[in-house]
Amino acid sequence: MEKMVRHASDNKYLHRDFHGILNLGIEYLQEQYGDDAVIEYLQEYTRVFHKPLIDAVKADGLSAIQKYFERIFEIEEVEEDILFEMGVDTLTIVISKCPALSHMKKTNITPAAMFIETTRTIGLTLAEETGLSYELVTYDEATGASIQKFIGKADK
Amino acid sequence: MISCTEFIPAYSELFKFLEAKGGKQAVVDYWATISKDGLALLKEEATRNGLRGCYNYWSHTLNEEAADFTMTLDEENGLFSIEMHECPSKGLLLNFEHLTPYSDYCDHCDILYRNVLEPLGYTYDIDLSQSDKAACKITVTAPK
Repeated sequence: MEKMVRHASDNKYLHRDFHGILNLGIEYLQEQYGDDAVIEYLQEYTRVFHKPLIDAVKADGLSAIQKYFERIFEIEEVEEDILFEMGVDTLTIVISKCPALSHMKKTNITPAAMFIETTRTIGLTLAEETGLSYELVTYDEATGASIQKFIGKADK
Repeated sequence: MISCTEFIPAYSELFKFLEAKGGKQAVVDYWATISKDGLALLKEEATRNGLRGCYNYWSHTLNEEAADFTMTLDEENGLFSIEMHECPSKGLLLNFEHLTPYSDYCDHCDILYRNVLEPLGYTYDIDLSQSDKAACKITVTAPK
């Protein structure tokens, strides 16, 4: 008989295979319910899950978005793959490799046709909810490398 | 981007979205698809290595998910079990103050794994009676 006993503190919470399951969800939504459903779902997800971030952006402006991305890339252990340029009322985020697409490539998963929306729709919705403008300037569908801009002064 | 550490709330919100579109059946249909397309590794492990394959599969996933669990493999008696003392996914959802988990969130663990293991001849049981405390127990019994 073999027994494995683990406590939450024994490991870091970082299950990268979840990137692939999210990809399946995006693919499934598009196939079963159409393109609009993918957009609607990601809009709803952003409004609900990112409520604390939306509030932080309203309180602190663009720096809250930068802090959020810094934290996520640190958790994903890819801090070197993101750069920021903070200008007057403009935050430019330059991602050289997306950790989700890197993991999918490593595990031979083909990205869903609308996987880009996990960047674009979330960025657009975050901007809409905070009174900012958003532009996805470039996006490489193979690597997720991208340039995103959040522009303006957030609603208070 | 959705970080893999943000996947669980995204998953829960997807279940809610699907239920709003087509009722619980729409969610169950989605879980059936995930068990086919997203659990190939469990199927491969269980087919190749039997109950030890289950042990191998969950050793990987539960450690990466930082779960609090006791996992037992008793090949002599054809039994494999996971006592989940604190499920990282349900625990995470219960800890959010600004969102409500999908009401039947834990049901996905019943349908997903059952759909993979029962066609291979295993009996799959799950006790979700403590799921409101992020605890559950899975038992897989090998065919006689």
